[in-house]
Amino acid sequence: MNVVRAWIEERLGLRAVTAFLEKKEVPRHKHTFLYYTGSSILLFLGIQIFTGVLLAFYYQPTLAEANASVVRIMTEMPLGWLVRSVHSWSATFMIALVFVHLLGIAFTKAYRKPREATWLTGVLLMGLSLAFGFTGYLLPWDELSLAATKVGTNLPKALPVIGTWLTQVMRAGEDVTGDTLSRFFTVHVSVLPLAVLAILGMHLFLVQRHGMSVPLEEERRKVKGPVLPFWPNFAFREAGVWLVLLGLLLTIAVLSAPGIGPQADLMAPAPEGIQPEWYFLFMFQTLKLFPARVLGLNGELVAVLIMMAGMAALLLLPFIDNRPFERKGKVITLLAWAGLAYALGMSIWSLL
Amino acid sequence: MKLPSSLFSRRAFLNGLIGGWLAALGAAFIGPLLKYIVPPTREPDQVSVPLEEFKDLAPHTVKGFSWGNKPGLLKKTEEGEYIAFVGVCTHLDCNVAFVAEQRRFYCACHEGWYDENGLNVAGPPPAPLRRLAVSIEGDALIIKKRV
Amino acid sequence: MNGRRRVMATVGILALGSLLAAGVLEARVQEATQPSVKPGPAAAPGQETSAAPRPAKERMAVYVLLAWVWFSIAVLLGVLRMRVREADRVHRMGLSRAAGKAPKGPGH
Repeated sequence: MNVVRAWIEERLGLRAVTAFLEKKEVPRHKHTFLYYTGSSILLFLGIQIFTGVLLAFYYQPTLAEANASVVRIMTEMPLGWLVRSVHSWSATFMIALVFVHLLGIAFTKAYRKPREATWLTGVLLMGLSLAFGFTGYLLPWDELSLAATKVGTNLPKALPVIGTWLTQVMRAGEDVTGDTLSRFFTVHVSVLPLAVLAILGMHLFLVQRHGMSVPLEEERRKVKGPVLPFWPNFAFREAGVWLVLLGLLLTIAVLSAPGIGPQADLMAPAPEGIQPEWYFLFMFQTLKLFPARVLGLNGELVAVLIMMAGMAALLLLPFIDNRPFERKGKVITLLAWAGLAYALGMSIWSLL
Repeated sequence: MKLPSSLFSRRAFLNGLIGGWLAALGAAFIGPLLKYIVPPTREPDQVSVPLEEFKDLAPHTVKGFSWGNKPGLLKKTEEGEYIAFVGVCTHLDCNVAFVAEQRRFYCACHEGWYDENGLNVAGPPPAPLRRLAVSIEGDALIIKKRV
Repeated sequence: MNGRRRVMATVGILALGSLLAAGVLEARVQEATQPSVKPGPAAAPGQETSAAPRPAKERMAVYVLLAWVWFSIAVLLGVLRMRVREADRVHRMGLSRAAGKAPKGPGH
């Protein structure tokens, strides 16, 4: 065994990586539990890739076969329904954790200098995760997913100049068709995974480069606070967290497996009760509430612009909140709480 | 029997236990995973074709039918009996064709030849064409796997 | 190995073995249910295929698998806790900090 290890070490020189992991320290304070959120997202991403590949073994991304192939996976393939259920629930877990991770970083102001780039890549990753959810939702090609996609791809139309073109890029034409399905499938299994891997690499590199951020009170202390070595102390704790998360995922996947509706009919009227996935509910509700015209402008345009402004504010938060622990920072924290309350409130309202 | 000192450290023991148990947990999933990756075989146990279509088959001619995902070949003998083959070459799985003038089956992939009873006579095929059992039930021909 | 550890090891091996057996049995159940018609809601075209139609025998096997998963997670959490306590104990001893201060042997 040691011979093999020596052989690998001579050629790959991984000693540098393991030495770094042994030296890496994780600060201990009352917010240490937040450090688990990032790696947990990675766990679920891994599960998505694994179950996604398994699903792609039998899924057929064409207009005629998509729905039927999913039904086949669920009824004919051994435990196919479980593979699909895990994939679906793991998406929810992952995006929920992305939000928790984002909130943890935002409220502890961990995006402050020098970690602005880490924040930027992180927000990009959140966008990519939501894109994964949006493109994946169409693939079963049932009534609900077709309707949700029609609504979702209609949104860019509100933008001036590029809006219609953008919608046509997403839909591969004017309308949602079989070409849209192929496009969404390719984006879901090739484009987004490659993009996520590239940006995740940057994000992880930056995190290791700057080390774990600590709350300001810790930073201001003269004496260095207590730490845990990453390996093995923190890593084994993390393994425990992962195991519990896996157990929860498997349990809910077994007890609450998703079904599939009848095949989408491009000519049929929209079904009752269309809804996007939960992470888009607050946007969905906001759009529903906006009046048709606001101050003489198209209501939908105003809504889309406001949403884009919100996303920009989120992206540029480290530069907006550049004095996070003074009064400016406290105001922005309050606004963040308000934003969160809005998102939660809107989501719950849309379900009533 | 009590040893004067431990054979291995507490750390190594615990590491081993963790690794071993994780492996066992994973192993519980390997069986179902393999079943999923290799789907259940789709070759049917039997196939039924209407007798009408094959009633007027002349001897030494061949007509095709569907044997699951593979081509089946039905032939009538001089005595009027039906014989059926799975029309797949026993060499490397290419589909074979019946050459009526020669009364032989031909596989174009590597120029394999079978006589009209399915026996491999020339080229690389190592075994005769697989036979299937044919029986007549009412107005249908039942073609089954040979036991 | 003292008595307590021996007991732990025996229990561990027994549980490991049964976990493997459960997995093998599960796989066999999957195979057995394939050729037969699945007793579950059959989807008429145009009707909704309800959530995860699956045969009754398979359902039992999956619940068994779930129970085993939780059991082994509990065991693993126990062992991990031991390992973490070991790692924390070693860290508190300060071996890594002491490594730099250790005097070099003769000949250096």
